[in-house]
Amino acid sequence: MEEEIRRVAGIVLTAPLARRTRRELLYCGLGGLAGVAGFGVTLVLLVAGLTVSASVLGTVVGLLLLTLALRLSRRIGSLHRRLGNRLLGQHVETPPRFQPGTGILGRLDRRLRDRAAWRSVWYNLVKLPVSALQLYAVVIAACGLYDLADPMIWLFSQQYRGRGPGSLAVWQPLPFGGDFTVHSWLATVPAALLGAASLVAAAWAVRGISAADRALVRGLLGPRTMAERVSELERTRTLAVEDAAAALRRVERDLHDGAQMRLAALAMNLGMAREKLEDPDSETVKELIDAAHRNAVDALADLRDLARGIHPPVLDAGLASALASLATSSAIPASVTADIATRPAPAIETIAYFCAAELIANATKHSYANEIKINIHTERGSVLRLVISDDGVGGADVSRGSGLSGLVQRVSTVDGRLDVSSPGGGPTTVTVELPLHA
Amino acid sequence: MHVVIAEDAALLREGLTRLLEDRGHVVSAAVPDGDALLAAVAEHRPDVAVVDIRMPPTHTDEGLRAALKLRQDFPGTGVLMFSQYVETSYSAQLLEGGAAGVGYLLKDRVANVAEFSAALERVAGGGTALDPEVVSQLFRASRQRGGLATLTPRERQVLALMAEGRSNAGIAAELVVSGGAVEKHVASIFAKLGLPPGESDNRRVLAVLRYLGG
Repeated sequence: MEEEIRRVAGIVLTAPLARRTRRELLYCGLGGLAGVAGFGVTLVLLVAGLTVSASVLGTVVGLLLLTLALRLSRRIGSLHRRLGNRLLGQHVETPPRFQPGTGILGRLDRRLRDRAAWRSVWYNLVKLPVSALQLYAVVIAACGLYDLADPMIWLFSQQYRGRGPGSLAVWQPLPFGGDFTVHSWLATVPAALLGAASLVAAAWAVRGISAADRALVRGLLGPRTMAERVSELERTRTLAVEDAAAALRRVERDLHDGAQMRLAALAMNLGMAREKLEDPDSETVKELIDAAHRNAVDALADLRDLARGIHPPVLDAGLASALASLATSSAIPASVTADIATRPAPAIETIAYFCAAELIANATKHSYANEIKINIHTERGSVLRLVISDDGVGGADVSRGSGLSGLVQRVSTVDGRLDVSSPGGGPTTVTVELPLHA
Repeated sequence: MHVVIAEDAALLREGLTRLLEDRGHVVSAAVPDGDALLAAVAEHRPDVAVVDIRMPPTHTDEGLRAALKLRQDFPGTGVLMFSQYVETSYSAQLLEGGAAGVGYLLKDRVANVAEFSAALERVAGGGTALDPEVVSQLFRASRQRGGLATLTPRERQVLALMAEGRSNAGIAAELVVSGGAVEKHVASIFAKLGLPPGESDNRRVLAVLRYLGG
C-alpha cells in the first residue's frame, strides 16, 4: 500500500520531467495560439458571410466570404491535425481531399457541402475555450520555471554584483492574489517550491487539456462519414490502378529500349560475323564477335536491372537487409537503423523499399548532402515508419517534383502518408508512414 | 542501292549502317526520328528507307506516320518498316496504298544478313517483303473474315510466301519442291481467288492483297 502511494507520488511529481510533457506543453503553446487565431478568422468570415448574404444584393459576396471561411477553416483544421499528429503522437487520418466540381455553381455547391470543412469550422469555434486553457497552462509552466530559478538568480546576482538583488519578484500563476516579492535568499526557497508545484500542476493540466483536445481533433478533424471514406477509397483505387498500368508501361519501355534492342544488335553482329566466316579477314570477324559479346553482356545487365526493378530479390530477406543493401550502393554515404518488430505484408515492404530507393536517388541528385540517414521501425504494432533524412540543401517540394508526388500517390493507395520537411538550406527529412498490412 | 535509315537507338543505327555498307550499299543518311527522315529522303532521294516504328518524341508510331507520308510524297522510294513488334493495324495501314515497294520486318530478321539484304533490295526494286510474322497475323485476321476457305493448306503456304515477296523459284527452294509444282499451286490460287490471266506480277500482287485484305 505504502509502496503504491510512493509509486503514484513519484509519477505525479516527475511528470514535469517527462519528454511527453514537453511535447504536450509545446502543443498547448502552439495549438493555443493557432486556436485563438483560427477562432478569430473563422468567426469574422462566417459572421460577415452570413450577414452580407442575408441581404439580397450581397448574396454573391456573402457566398464568396462563406467559401473563403470554409477553405480557411479546412486549412487551419489540417494545421491543428498535423500539430496533434506530430507533437501528441496521435494518428488522425487526413479527411478526403476536396473534390472541386465543374463550373462556378458546381464549385460553389461542392464547397458549401464540404463536410470536412464544416467540421473544421466547428472545431475552430469550439477550440476557443480550449485554447484559453492551453495558453493558461503554458503561463503556469512559465511562472513555475521562473520561480524555480529564483534562488539561482539570487545567487548569481550575489556572485557577479557582490550583493543580493535586494528584492525579487515571485510570479504566482493564479489569476487572483497578485505577485509578491521576497527580500532575502532564504525567502526564495519557498518561492522555488511554489515554482516546482506550479510545474507539476502545469504538467498535469497540459495532459488533461491535450487529452480533451485530442478527442476533439479526432472527432472533428479526421475522416468520419462512410461516404467520405468511400470517396477516399475510390480516389486511391484509381491511383493504384494507374500506378500499376504505369509500372507495366515502364517495364515495356525498358525492355524495348534496353534488352530487346541489345539482343537485336547482338543478332545483327552475329549475322554479319557468320557472313564473314569464310572470309580470310579474321580481324573483322573477331571485331564483330566482340561487339556481339558486348551486346549480350549489356542485354544481361539490362534484364537484371529490369528484373530487380520489378521485384528486388533482396527484399525476400526482409526490409532491413534490403535497405542495408540499398544504402551500400548509394553514392552518398548512407546508414540504416532498423527496428522492425512485426514483419509487414510483402506489398507494404515493396512500397517502403521503392520509397527508400526513390528518396535516396532524389537526395543523390538534388541535395548535395554528405550523409543520408535511413531509419525504419514499427510503431504500436500497426504502423511502419520510414524516415530518410539528409544534411543537404533542402528545398524538396511535393507539389513540384514528379518523383515525390508519385510516391505520395503510391503510398496513399494503401492509406499511408508521406510528409516532407525540407526548408531551403536544409536539412531534408521525409517520413513515410504505412500500415503493416495493406 | 541508296538507303536512308531512321532508327532512334544509336547502336542499331550504326550496326545497320555498317551492315549495309559492308554489302556495298550507300547509306546516304542515318537519322534518329521521323522529321529528320522526311528531310533526308527529300534531300537524298534514296531507293529505299529503313524505318523504325517507335521513335521520339512520343515513342508510339512516329515511324509509321512518317512512312505513310513517304509513300505519298515519294512513291519511288521503297519503305521497309523495321520494328520489334508486329501490329496488324500497322501493316494494314501500310498496305492500304498497295503492296509495291513496301516491307515490314521484325528486327530479329537482321540476324540473317543475306535474307535481310535481299528483302531490302526487293523493296527498293518495287517488290514486297513481309515478315512471316506479319503474314501469319494478317492470315489470321483474314481467315476470320472467311476469305481463304477454299485454299488447300499447301496453297496457303505458297500464298504466304508470295505475300512475303518471294519469287516462284524462291518459294520452290523454301518448300523443297520443283518449280513446276509451285507454278501449279500459284495457278490454282489465282483461279480460286478469281484472278484473270494477265501480267503475272500484277496478279501476284492482287492475290496477296486479296489475301491480306480479306
